[in-house]
Amino acid sequence: MGLKILIVEPEKCDGCRDCEKECSLFHFGVADPDLSFIRIKEDGHFGSFIPVVCVACEEAPCIDVCPMNARERRENGAVVTNQDRCIGCRACLYACPFGAVQINRETGKSGSCDLCREDREGPRCVKACAKQKALLYVSSTEVRRIRGEGSVETIKQVLRPQGKESLS
Amino acid sequence: MRVLIVGNGIAGETVAFSLRFRRPEVEISMLSAEEVPAYDPCSLPYYVGGDVAREIVFRRELNDYKKYNIAFFPKRRAVSIDTEEHLVVTEGGEAFPYDKLVLAHGGSLFRPPIEGIDKKGIFSCKTLSDADALAAHQGTRAVIIGSGAIGVEVAEALKKKGYEVTIVELLPWILPTLFDEPTAKRLEKALLGYGIPVRTAEKVLGIEGKDRVSAVVTDKTALPCDTVVLATGVVPGRALAETAGIKVGRGIKVNERMETSLPEILACGDCVETFDAFTGEECCLYQLKHNAVNQARVVVGTLLGGKERYIGAYAFARAHFFSTHAASMGKTLKGVEGSLGVEILERERDGDYLRLIFREGFLLGAQAIGSFADMMGLLMAMMWRRYNFGRVREDLENLRSRDLPYPWTYGQLVGILDGRKELL
Repeated sequence: MGLKILIVEPEKCDGCRDCEKECSLFHFGVADPDLSFIRIKEDGHFGSFIPVVCVACEEAPCIDVCPMNARERRENGAVVTNQDRCIGCRACLYACPFGAVQINRETGKSGSCDLCREDREGPRCVKACAKQKALLYVSSTEVRRIRGEGSVETIKQVLRPQGKESLS
Repeated sequence: MRVLIVGNGIAGETVAFSLRFRRPEVEISMLSAEEVPAYDPCSLPYYVGGDVAREIVFRRELNDYKKYNIAFFPKRRAVSIDTEEHLVVTEGGEAFPYDKLVLAHGGSLFRPPIEGIDKKGIFSCKTLSDADALAAHQGTRAVIIGSGAIGVEVAEALKKKGYEVTIVELLPWILPTLFDEPTAKRLEKALLGYGIPVRTAEKVLGIEGKDRVSAVVTDKTALPCDTVVLATGVVPGRALAETAGIKVGRGIKVNERMETSLPEILACGDCVETFDAFTGEECCLYQLKHNAVNQARVVVGTLLGGKERYIGAYAFARAHFFSTHAASMGKTLKGVEGSLGVEILERERDGDYLRLIFREGFLLGAQAIGSFADMMGLLMAMMWRRYNFGRVREDLENLRSRDLPYPWTYGQLVGILDGRKELL
């Protein structure tokens, strides 16, 4: 079984941005996309929308570079910023291969998807995307089913930007 | 198997605890020159400046060592290795046996041969006790000698505490290992804007004062002060290995498995010399946290007979002071000096700056100030994947977004390459 992971299917995203609002509402009590841990990026070149969110890399570069040891992995697999330790230097954002760390405009500190903590309803963005299904919260076996055999390996590879194989 | 680790810095601590998490039965001992649990040297300037409490700098509690069955020996400075008998001897004459030895004792502050360097009022920010002394000190005017990351961060810390601060740098620009001149000059201007003047290309000749410092004398002027901070870089600790007959260069030489010239002795962290992840160059010293962590992971793999291979060290660092944010990764232009096919691409927008260094279409390094820095990780991913930027436009025609690992970055990067600002 193992941990569930949040996966993104960019081609299904229609850019409605409900995920951003729900995320912000859950974490900050207001529907403000500028506070959201998930961000919909519009690709000017392709004219498509890509949800950008922390994928909790197995070997997360943000944890390795944080000077304050503020980036921590939670039991649910999420990698989050300990706000008491963060000094707002943005090393985590700069090291993230997805640019998925957000800087809070009020505190200047970093934050990223916590998978809505241990909330029973699961990540709010996934709920918000029930129709489009561009965001899914699934176990690794389900990933295999959805994306086909081999996809888990592909995802793992993407999640390991520092892998040796990428050098050859 | 008895594993002995020398050093309780980031590298040593990572080895000890990851090894324990993977193997409950291995006997692990650790010698530390200091008496505190593992802490993060990168965080020290923020403790000095009062941004965070002292307890925040620690990575572990003393209790953790006991809890995870790691025999921790504080205040034990290793002075020699008996490679025949497999013993490490400490300053106090104690001998510690090993089957496998991990050297992770780091480096020490480079103390420049300056007259008067032993006076009172001279500090550094290398170890926690250095930081304790600096944090407790009450001065008014500080001169920071050296402008690496620690120099700049300490300058900010003291400025926040109300000091008048001046930085003196021997080289022509600040943060010389991270940035090229155009990037660094912009950061110098920013520092000046926060009230921290930077004096570059200036050599410190001596430190004056009766027994307390009263001025730093350079080849251009005398700077009155009551506080001096040495931020002159870290020299890898080679002596311990060298005297044991282990091969050293500027640091302890290791292979891809982090083994020294004696296979039962491994090394990682600031004391080693490795190779560059991107160019393969040997004699590479990027004494940065992520490199120590990565090396430590390989050490653990090797100790357990795994197939892990080190991917090489790479530069990645942020420079942050007050509301200025900058980052650098990979090579600087100076770092690739003399090689052919090098191309520089610069972009500027609202005071933000981006500088990309290419060699034959491949990204070798990037420097950014402001919002451009936000894409540093994406650029680094591109660099790891060895995308040929010369072919990016062609690729775009042939690929659907689904096939691209980082689809939206392509749009952005092509925007940069074309100078189309609206895509950023």
